[in-house]
Amino acid sequence: MTTIRIGRRAALAAGVAALASPAVVRAQADPIKLATLTPLTGAGGPYGPVMAKAAASVVEEVNKAGGVLGRRIVLVSEDDQTNPEAAVRAARKLIDVDKVAAIMGTWASSVTTAVAPLCWESKTFLCTVSGADSITLLPHQGFLIRTQPNSKLQVTRVGEFILSLGAKKAFTMIPQTPFTQSTFDVLNQVLPKGGCTHQSLIYDDKKTTYRTEVDQALRTSPDVLLANGYTPDTVVLLKDLYRAGFKGKILGFAYSINQKLVDQVGQPEVVEGVYTFAPSPAEGSGAFEKVKAGTGSANPDPYTCQVYDHTNLVLMAIANGKAATGEAIKDNIRKATVSGGKVVDNAVDGIKEIMAGGKVDYAGASGPCDFDEKGDILDCKFRYEQIKAGKFTLVKIA
Amino acid sequence: MIILQALVNGIVSGTLLAVPAIGFTAMFAVLRFPNFSVSGVATLGAFAGYLAYGAGLQMAGSLAAAFAVAGVAGLAFDKVAHLPLIKQGALPAAIASIATGLILENFVRLGFGNEPRGYDRPIARDVFIGEIRVSPQQLETMGLALLLMLLVFAALAFTRIGKAMRASADNPELAALKGIRPERIATLASFVGMGLVGVGGMLLGLDSSIDPLTGTRILLSLFAAAVLGGLGSVPGAVLGAFLIGMAEELSVLVVGSQYRAAVGFIAILLVLTLRPRGLLGERAY
Repeated sequence: MTTIRIGRRAALAAGVAALASPAVVRAQADPIKLATLTPLTGAGGPYGPVMAKAAASVVEEVNKAGGVLGRRIVLVSEDDQTNPEAAVRAARKLIDVDKVAAIMGTWASSVTTAVAPLCWESKTFLCTVSGADSITLLPHQGFLIRTQPNSKLQVTRVGEFILSLGAKKAFTMIPQTPFTQSTFDVLNQVLPKGGCTHQSLIYDDKKTTYRTEVDQALRTSPDVLLANGYTPDTVVLLKDLYRAGFKGKILGFAYSINQKLVDQVGQPEVVEGVYTFAPSPAEGSGAFEKVKAGTGSANPDPYTCQVYDHTNLVLMAIANGKAATGEAIKDNIRKATVSGGKVVDNAVDGIKEIMAGGKVDYAGASGPCDFDEKGDILDCKFRYEQIKAGKFTLVKIA
Repeated sequence: MIILQALVNGIVSGTLLAVPAIGFTAMFAVLRFPNFSVSGVATLGAFAGYLAYGAGLQMAGSLAAAFAVAGVAGLAFDKVAHLPLIKQGALPAAIASIATGLILENFVRLGFGNEPRGYDRPIARDVFIGEIRVSPQQLETMGLALLLMLLVFAALAFTRIGKAMRASADNPELAALKGIRPERIATLASFVGMGLVGVGGMLLGLDSSIDPLTGTRILLSLFAAAVLGGLGSVPGAVLGAFLIGMAEELSVLVVGSQYRAAVGFIAILLVLTLRPRGLLGERAY
C-alpha cells in the first residue's frame, strides 16, 4: 500500500484554492442530495424503474446546466419493493445516511402511508403518486404533495363528463369499496347542478348475476349509467345490461373497463359505445415530450410523468428557497407554479428564471401541478375513450 | 311486477345452485362430514369445462369434462386428505376440506392467473314473456341443470347402485349386513358428488365469468341451501337452493344487494335454531 502524505502547507494551499475557485467546482464537494423511492420490484415493478429514470434525466439536465444554487445534484435511487416494511428501511437509509432533502415517487398507498411519518418528522419532503384519499389527510405539516388526483377530483370530473353527455337521469352501480360513499356524495353534488338527477345502487361484487340489480336500475329509466366496479363484476354487469336491452350510455373507469374486459366479454356489441375514463398525462405538452426523450419511452405512463414533475418542482423550490432542505422545499414548492409567471416545462429554464429574479409557472408532464393546502393537486388531465367495434378510440384528453 | 321478476330471477339462480347443492348434500349423506373443498372443486370444474369448450367440445362434452375432472380431483382429495381424518370426527375432516379447497383454488390460480375468463358463448338479448324478462341462455342453462337433477333422482330411485347409496346413507351398518360395501359407496358418493359440484361451477360460469374465486363465491349460498333443506337430503338441497336463490334476489329489493351474504347466514341461523334437521329432515331421498 502506498501512503500519500500531504503536508500541512499543501493542505492549506488546497483549501484556499478550493474556496477561491468558482462555485461550480466547489459544488462537486458539496452536492444536494435527492432521492427516488420507487417500486423497482413487486406489484409496482413495471413502473418503478422508468420512474427513477425520469427523475435521473431531470437531474442530469440540471447538472449539465450548472446545478442549482451553484451546487451539483446527486440522486439516490432506492427500491421500496412495493412493500411498506422494505420501504421504511429504505427511507431510513435515505434520511439518516444519505441525508436527502426530498424523497420522490412513492407509488403504493401503503408504502406512502408508512414512509410519510418518517419524512415529516425528519423534515424531509415527500412527493408521491399514491391515490388513497387518506394520504393527504395525514398530519404531514406540509411536507407532502401528491400529483395523482384523489378520488374526489376523479369523480367530480366523471360527473362533469356525464353532464357533457347530456344526461338527465344518471344511475351509479358500484360495489362496496372505501370510495363508494364519497362517490355518491360527489355525484349528488355535481350532477344536480347540471340539471341531472342521480340515483345509485350498491351491489355485491361476488354475485354471479345482476339481473335483479339491473332491473332495479332500469326501473328509474336512466340515460347514463356509471358502472363503477372492478373488471370481474363489471363483465357480469355489462352482459346483464345488454341482455336487459339497456339503450342508454354506459361509462366506467379505465382500470376496470379495459382490453381484458373487452376480450372476456367476447362480443363487441355488448360493449359497443361504452365510455371509459382515466387520469392522463398532459400528452403533447413540452414537458411530456421531455419525459419521452429522457426515458426513451414512446408512451410514458402517468406515474413516470408525475415523477418527472416531482423532480422539477423540488429543484425549482430549492432555487426559490435558496436552501436545499426539506423545510425550504416545503415553503417554496407552490412558488414553482405561480400564475402569471414565466411558463416553463423544465427545471433548467425555471432555475434560470428564478435566479434572474423572475417568477415561474411550471406546466408539467402530468398536468398543471397546482396544489391545495393539503397537498392534493387541484386539476389534471383526464383521458376519455369510447369502445367502437371492440377497440378503444380516443374521445378527448381534457 | 318487479317482485315477480325478482322471483323469476331467483328461480333461475336457484336452479343453478341446486346442482352443486345436490352434490354437497349427497356427499354429506354418505361420508358424514361437510366437505367445504367444494369451493375449489367447483372452480376446477368450471375451468375444466372452459378448456373443453374452448377446445371445441360441445356443451354436453364440456359438462362431461367438468364432471370427470372435478369428480376425480374431489375423490383424490377425499381419499388422501379427508377420509383418513374422519375417524377423529367430522370436524377435522371438515377443516381439512377447507384447506384442500384453498389448495385447489390456488392451483387454478397458478395455471390461469387471476383474470376472469368467459365462455365463448353468444350473448343474446332477453325475451319477454308477458312483462317478465327471461334470458334464452339462462333458460338453456336452467334446462341443463333440471335435466341433470332428473338424472340424479332417477339414478337414486331406480338403479341398484342408487338404492345401495340410499341404503348406506340411511343406515350404514344395516346396509353392510346386506352386502353393500361401504367403501365402494363412499368412493362413488365422492366421485358423483364432486362431479356434480364441478358441473355446477361450470353452469354458474356459463352466463357470467370464471376466475379462481368462482367456487368460493357460491360456497355460502350452497351450504345454506343444503342446511336449509336438511343436510343429507337430496330433495331438500333442491328445495333449499330454490328458496335461497329467491331470498337472495328478493333481498336486493328490500335491503340492498350488499347484504346478500347475510341471507345465507340468516337462513342457516334460523334453521339451526328452529328446525335443526332442516326442512325435509336428513333422509337421503
